[in-house]
Amino acid sequence: MTAPAIEPSDINLNNPEHFQREEFHELLRILRHRDPVHWNPPGEVSNGFWSITKYEDILFISRRPEIFISSKGIAGPGIKPERLAELDFAAQQQNAGGNASIITMDPPRHVKMRRLVNKGFTPRAVNAMEPEIRRVTNEILDRIAHKGECDFVLEVASQLPLAVICGMMGVEQKDWPLMFELTNKVLGSGDPEYQTDIPEEERGTGQAARLTAMKGLQTMLEYFRGVLEDRRQNPRENDLPTILLEAEVDGEKLTEGDILQFCFLLIVAGNETTRNAISGGLQVLCQHPDQKRALIEDYSLMDTAIEEILRWTSPLHHMARTATEDVELRGKQIRAGDRVLMWYPSANRDEDIFPDPYRFDIRRTPNDHLAFGIGEHFCLGAGFARKELKVMFEELFRRFPDIEVVGPPERLRSTFINGIKHMPVQFTPER
Amino acid sequence: MKVRVKAEMCEGHGKCEKAAPEIFKLGDDDISIVLIEGDLPKELEEKAERAYRLCPRQAIELIP
Repeated sequence: MTAPAIEPSDINLNNPEHFQREEFHELLRILRHRDPVHWNPPGEVSNGFWSITKYEDILFISRRPEIFISSKGIAGPGIKPERLAELDFAAQQQNAGGNASIITMDPPRHVKMRRLVNKGFTPRAVNAMEPEIRRVTNEILDRIAHKGECDFVLEVASQLPLAVICGMMGVEQKDWPLMFELTNKVLGSGDPEYQTDIPEEERGTGQAARLTAMKGLQTMLEYFRGVLEDRRQNPRENDLPTILLEAEVDGEKLTEGDILQFCFLLIVAGNETTRNAISGGLQVLCQHPDQKRALIEDYSLMDTAIEEILRWTSPLHHMARTATEDVELRGKQIRAGDRVLMWYPSANRDEDIFPDPYRFDIRRTPNDHLAFGIGEHFCLGAGFARKELKVMFEELFRRFPDIEVVGPPERLRSTFINGIKHMPVQFTPER
Repeated sequence: MKVRVKAEMCEGHGKCEKAAPEIFKLGDDDISIVLIEGDLPKELEEKAERAYRLCPRQAIELIP
C-alpha cells in the first residue's frame, strides 16, 4: 500500500495547516521537482499567486527589486481587491498609521530609509554588543537554572531576541511581555492561540486572523506614539526612536506615521524570527545527538553549525513580491500585477545547490543559504540573529550540556513564519 | 571585466573580502573597497563572480 501520489495541481500552499503539520517540505519538494514556477489558484478572498521554489529563481527575483516590488505586500497572496472594502481591511489599515515601513518599500526610497538605521546593525556594531548579549543570555539562563525543565520557547528562546531589540528601541523592561504578546498577535495572527480578542467560537477563520493582526498593530503603534512623545522631550543616545525622530530623508523629516511603522517593524522582526531559529536549532540538534555532542565538545564548529541551523529552519517560509511587468520564468508567463511567493525552505533544500540537502550537517560548507533573503531587502538584523544564536548555544550548552527536548514542539499555524510556540525541555539543574 | 561596489548598498558583511581578498577589502567605515582599478586579471574573474553572487546586498557590479 502506498499513498496516492500528490500532483502539483493538488497543492495549495495558502493553507496554514500544511505548515503547522510540517507537511510543507514534501509539498515544496514536489513543486521544485515538477513545477518550480507554480500557479496557485485564488481562494475565496485571497489572490492567486506564483510559487517560486528554485534557488536560482529566487535569486533572479530578489535581484530585480524594481520589477518585483514589495510595496503591494510581502506576506501571503494578499486579498482580492474586490473583497477589500467588504472586509473593511484597507480602511482599518489606513487608520492604523498609514505609512509603509522599509520592508514594504521599493527603490529608491527604501535604501535611503534603511541607511538611517543600518549603522546600528553592521558586523562591527553587532560585535560591540556581544558582551551585553552574553550577559543577558546568562541572566535568562539563571532564571531556569534551578528548575530542571521549562518551556524552552517562552522561557529561553523568546527572551534573548526580545531583550536585544527592546534594548535598542529603549523599551522599558516592564513592557517586554507586552511587546512579545503583540508580536505574536501580528505574526501569529492566524493561530487561534493568539486570537484572544476574538470570541472563542469565531477563532481560526481568516477574518479572525485579520482582526487579530490589526489589533496587535494598532496597540503597538499606540505604544510607540507614547515613546515618541517622550523622546521629543527627552532624546536619548544610541536609541532608535530618537535617531528616527532626528533623521532626514531628501531634506525632510520623517512623518510620525513613517517612524511608527519603522518602530513596529523593528520590534516584530527583531524578536519573532530569531526566537524560532533558536528553538528550531535546539530541536534539530537534539534529533541528531552525535552532532550535538560534537558541537558541545568543539565550539569551533559553532559558526558552520549556526549557518546549517539557519538553512535547516528557514525561519521565514516566504516573502511575497508583485510583478510590475510581464516576465517569463521557466516558460511560465508571470503577468504585471501577479503576486509571486519565494519559498525559502525550498531554495535551502535545492539539490542543484546543496549536496544531500535533506541531511542536517553542522560542518556543511559552503552553505550559501537564503534564510535571510538576498539583495535590496536582505535581513537588516542578520548579524544580530547570528550573534544571538551563537552566544545562546555557547552559553546554553556550557551550562546545560544534557538539555533534551522531551515532548513534541507545538508549531505555529502560519504560512509565513516557521514558528514554534512551545517546546518542553529537561536538563540537569545547576546546584 | 571591471568591478564596482555600490557604496550606498554595502553594509559591511565582508563576504566579498572572504571570497576574493585580492579584490575587496573592508574599509574603516565597514564599506567594501575595490583594490584593483581597471580590468581584473583573467584569473581573478571567477572569484569576482563568486563575490558578486554571495554579496547579501547585491552591492557588487561586474562590468564586462
